[in-house]
Amino acid sequence: MDFPEIRWDIIWDYRELFIRGIWVTLGLTIVGYLGGIVLGLFIGMGKLSKKKWVYYPSKYFVDFFRGTPLLVQILLIHLAIIPGIFGHSLGYFVSGSVALILNSAAYNAEIIRAGIQSIEKGQMEAARSLGMPNNIAMRHIILPQALRRMIPPLGNELIALLKDSSLVTVIAASDILYAGKVVAGAYQRFWEPYITVAILYLCLTYVFGKIITYIEKRFSNSFVPKQKKGMFSTRR
Amino acid sequence: MKSLKRIFSVGIILSSVSLALFGCGTGTSTSENGDTGEDKKYIIATDATYAPMEYMDKDGNIVGTDIDIVNAIADELGIEVEFKNYGWEPLFSAVKNEEVDFAVSSITITDERKQTFDFTEPYYAANQLILVPEDSTVTKFDDLKDMRISVQINTTGHEVVKGLLGKTSSKIVAPESMPLAISEMINGNADAAIGDNAVINEYVKNNPDVKLKTVEDDTFEKEYYGLMVKKGNVELIELLNEGIEKIKANGKLKEITGFDVE
Repeated sequence: MDFPEIRWDIIWDYRELFIRGIWVTLGLTIVGYLGGIVLGLFIGMGKLSKKKWVYYPSKYFVDFFRGTPLLVQILLIHLAIIPGIFGHSLGYFVSGSVALILNSAAYNAEIIRAGIQSIEKGQMEAARSLGMPNNIAMRHIILPQALRRMIPPLGNELIALLKDSSLVTVIAASDILYAGKVVAGAYQRFWEPYITVAILYLCLTYVFGKIITYIEKRFSNSFVPKQKKGMFSTRR
Repeated sequence: MKSLKRIFSVGIILSSVSLALFGCGTGTSTSENGDTGEDKKYIIATDATYAPMEYMDKDGNIVGTDIDIVNAIADELGIEVEFKNYGWEPLFSAVKNEEVDFAVSSITITDERKQTFDFTEPYYAANQLILVPEDSTVTKFDDLKDMRISVQINTTGHEVVKGLLGKTSSKIVAPESMPLAISEMINGNADAAIGDNAVINEYVKNNPDVKLKTVEDDTFEKEYYGLMVKKGNVELIELLNEGIEKIKANGKLKEITGFDVE
């Protein structure tokens, strides 16, 4: 293997593209994630429903968006579905967001469903015997407990979504990977642009990872009084 | 206990790094053993998404004008060739790393590319063409200054557009392939698409129901396609040039492309 001299100046020349890429990647990830949680909550609940007309659409939604590649979904939405509905494209950001929302909703729905199912039956029975209607019991008793168990897998989904958002490069969304590809193509050099891309994604996933850890700690300690570290601590 | 753990983990890291490096060392010497026999088959990389120059027919064969030209050259030289679809960007590293012998993919000969690769004599002359909706007011390239332009990423068209709009402009829409670039324009994400004349004309011909028109501009520099070879492979360049010379002389090239290349 031979590594020729490294030229960071080519990255600097295209810094605007990389900076815009960070914003686009962040924007797509955050919109996709928040939308995905809201939609996923409905679909996850739908999969728990006993009503057939709620259960089956939810099930097929999850089957489709979890069972087909995100890349295909992006192309389908950008080139066929949105132009089909509106007569013209609404730009890569709309297409990309819609694809990421739908895709992550499918995964989140399963996380949410599993989280709710993991709460012991007795909790619902107890709430109902206190006279709470089903939906109030769900909102005040079941969901808060389930949420704590959902946080780690939902955090995983955020990191996965951030990385998967790089697939929107194919529809010319100017995200981080797009910037890297433009530089690589302009100079026919691959080491500098792609290592830059990797480092940028790494930084973003690191920051998100920290936020997730914080949230996890914050919620997991909520019923345990804070322990002082010191002589009474049993931890090593 | 703690220090023992630390030594252990350092040991794991070191051994995995050395394993990874060892893995790198073994895979490099594959290209040597292919060059010995006389009945060598030449492997050629292409990006078969560029009709009519190179594309896949319904049986999965790589066909097109470029392919016909290389086949004609191979006939003249009496060599055997095999085309492989690499895609536009991987094609460059495939030539560089000697995974293939050379590449044909409507590759314009540019000074930048010449720094890393060698090219044969030009075998095809092309120029950029602007594709716009039928009701567009665009009459020349300069009219596009404040518009959004779609173009295939990292092609010479992309370079031309970067020259007009600035190289990090957000008005450049650059997807992976020419068909995608054209659909960006049709779907309203861009006001105009720019590409090589052969491809744009082919698209217009195949899609008469889409209301489009092409705009020519003399300010575009003429571009010449060449066969791309790893830098320093003089032997192969000479061989291919000889082939190109022959098909130019006997009129086969003109038969395939419809015009002469000076």
